Amino acid sequence: MLFAYLSVIALLIVLASLAHRDAQIRHTTVSGQAWQQIAPLLIRLPLALLAASFLAELMPQALFARWLGDASGTLGILAASVMGGLLPGGPMVAFPLILVLERAGAGTPQLIALLTAWSCLALHRVLAFELPTLGWGFVWRRWAATVALAPLAGFAAAWVLMLKG
Amino acid sequence: MTLFFLLLALAAGAMLAYRQGPLAVIEALGGAVELMLIVLPLIVIAVLMAAYAQALIPRDLAERWLGRGAGLKGIGLATLAGTVTPGGPFMAFPLVLGLRGVGASLPICMTYLTAWSVLGIQRVLIWELPFFGLDFVALRLLVSLPLPLIAGLIAQWITEPSRV
Repeated sequence: MLFAYLSVIALLIVLASLAHRDAQIRHTTVSGQAWQQIAPLLIRLPLALLAASFLAELMPQALFARWLGDASGTLGILAASVMGGLLPGGPMVAFPLILVLERAGAGTPQLIALLTAWSCLALHRVLAFELPTLGWGFVWRRWAATVALAPLAGFAAAWVLMLKG
Repeated sequence: MTLFFLLLALAAGAMLAYRQGPLAVIEALGGAVELMLIVLPLIVIAVLMAAYAQALIPRDLAERWLGRGAGLKGIGLATLAGTVTPGGPFMAFPLVLGLRGVGASLPICMTYLTAWSVLGIQRVLIWELPFFGLDFVALRLLVSLPLPLIAGLIAQWITEPSRV
């Protein structure tokens, strides 16, 4: 986690100093925009994490370990891909939920398949943005082009983990 | 949405207290607070960083860049652009519309959107890294690298099978 902090802070410093040299960018405008995104998170995210933490305790862990655990293999990766495709909501809903699954014993390849399916098929995004702006013709072609990617990512992850031992 | 999470937390907490006793609730509460203290500051810093990135990268630049690229070079450019596009869907979709407007092909748009979905640096830094840590993120990014290319090729095959 220390590395995560250091890398994000380093990026922030680089970008902020680049912006500092650009006469058209004002720090107050940028931080105002950032604040608009952060403010709703400050209440919602703690609530979401709290709900996720309670739900994790309530989950039948043995059942999840069997369906999505490391030993669930190919079937688990496929099940995770379907679940991810159906998972509604943006990152604030999805990530705490996925964290619940991780704590309930889901395996890494299965989680990767789930995340990939969620980010590629993205039902919520399709309804809110893609359909209104680009239309059905675009949406179904994009789905057809990306539907296999989640299991692919899951299998590749399982393979990499196997090579690493 | 805030109300939804509030109700969900209350319902799940009550259910947990009923089934496993108040001690389990306190334990879960402690876990949530601990996670929050790790995750929340990181998210705040990452959002601020993303706001700077958005101010620095103008949208029309990407449009001009990608509109002309074709073939494998175009797919490579689209992957790169999707990876670094800051901002949520309100940023990426108008960009795709603009791309279609300046004549970018369907496979290029699919590659761009897929790269933005699975490799997008902003989501990785704001959400994935705080929640899942570096090892998980590195493995997921590694296996996701070829996905935009695959999506672009399948899109090419769907739209113009003869040219694959």
